[in-house]
Amino acid sequence: MLGKLLKYDLKSIFKLLIIFYTLSMLFGLLTRVFFSFRNSLVLEILGEISQGAAISMMCSTLINNIMRMWVRFKTHFYGDESYLTHTLPVEKRTHYLSKILTTVITLFVSFAVICLVLFTAYYSKENLLFFKNLLLPLVEIYDSTILGIIASFVFILFLEFINILQCGFTGIILGNRKNNAKTGFSVLFGAAAFFVSQVIIIAVLFLIAIFNKDFMNLFVTNNVMEIQTIKIMIYVSISCYTLVSLLICYINIRLFKKGVDVD
Amino acid sequence: MELLQCIDLNKSFGEKQILKNINLTIPRGKIIGLLGKNGTGKSTLIKLINDLLTISSGQILINGKPIGVESKKIISYLPERTYLDKGMTVEKTIKYFANFYENFDSEKAYKLLEDLGLDANQKLAKMSKGMQEKVQLILVMSRKADLYILDEPLGGVDPATRDYILDTILTNFNDGASVIISTHLISDVERILDNVIFIDKGQIILTAEADELRNREDASIDEIFRRMFKC
Repeated sequence: MLGKLLKYDLKSIFKLLIIFYTLSMLFGLLTRVFFSFRNSLVLEILGEISQGAAISMMCSTLINNIMRMWVRFKTHFYGDESYLTHTLPVEKRTHYLSKILTTVITLFVSFAVICLVLFTAYYSKENLLFFKNLLLPLVEIYDSTILGIIASFVFILFLEFINILQCGFTGIILGNRKNNAKTGFSVLFGAAAFFVSQVIIIAVLFLIAIFNKDFMNLFVTNNVMEIQTIKIMIYVSISCYTLVSLLICYINIRLFKKGVDVD
Repeated sequence: MELLQCIDLNKSFGEKQILKNINLTIPRGKIIGLLGKNGTGKSTLIKLINDLLTISSGQILINGKPIGVESKKIISYLPERTYLDKGMTVEKTIKYFANFYENFDSEKAYKLLEDLGLDANQKLAKMSKGMQEKVQLILVMSRKADLYILDEPLGGVDPATRDYILDTILTNFNDGASVIISTHLISDVERILDNVIFIDKGQIILTAEADELRNREDASIDEIFRRMFKC
């Protein structure tokens, strides 16, 4: 059943995202074309406009990805369509997992499209060298590779998006348990869930700091930390973020299993 | 084992109690009218049976088991509102139902569509509300379910179509299955009912066999209803 739900969820989300993917690619391509003619002021202005449009489309892709998932979650579980959703012979947990997996897949594709747009718009030997030089200090500091740095950054961003999305789901589930002002309460509970998740991450770091003097410097001094400590802190943060995301997922499934009150 | 049992069922929204101590048994192979004025708790009871609301206290058992995946497999529910994805065509909606309900009969759905002169390739968004309701009825009646629950199936429909809808219900429900029809348009459904349940202010005030009640009171169900619920 999960596969069937996933198929319909993915179709619904990609139906919208494909518009943003196409526009991002189009503006990325135009940026490249216009910037290749450096001897015309008009084409350079058009290039700047295309560049702005491509960047805004890439941002819109990510924002719409999240927003669309929240809207689908609300309409599917609490709107008119919920009369069908909740009467399907499917476990509530399966419904929830389908939404999470849809987000993971669509976000992954969105990130891939953004990388492709950036590559289309800006790839050249000079730009690649410039980008490498920009990242080299980080590579040296973290004793990593360029790919490792980019992968870590994208992974943290990915976790952050999943966390934001799930906090939104928590808000929608809790908000719709209220008899009035459901949307207002959904936003409030969603923001509260996000705040709590961040506090948990900081609390875990503080707990570790109690037993690690170098970590404690992060909380009690302005001193720059040792590279090794920063590296450990990043790994701990990524682990915490993953665990918090899993915890929110577990809580949401438990809340969801208790049942819904559809208008 | 009874098809459906409600035991000491209560439902409240905050301080407001909507259903009070409902005890109800639905036998197999009957058409039951759940009758009451607007806002008396008919839809709330139906939504509880369909897992669309949480129970405040009490129990609902379907084939002796609590509501869950197994009960959803055997209940075919028609809500009072349009609930399908309007971005889909009728054909895609039929595929959707066939994907999720093992007891869905696609051939029957297409036959009913043809009988009603509906286009399977048309998007639901392009259809009138009445047409969408007909599609929903077709989808619900194309399942070989044990229990059909129809919430106000005649609401907002012209008298000529009402007869057609009732005939569709009568001729298409599964053998041995039961049908619960919730409505306040009693005169329209009276002819097809085996049993009646009167509900008022969240309480069941009468359950009876339709013929027996008519003979006892020497009046139609509609007249008895009007007498009992006179404002």
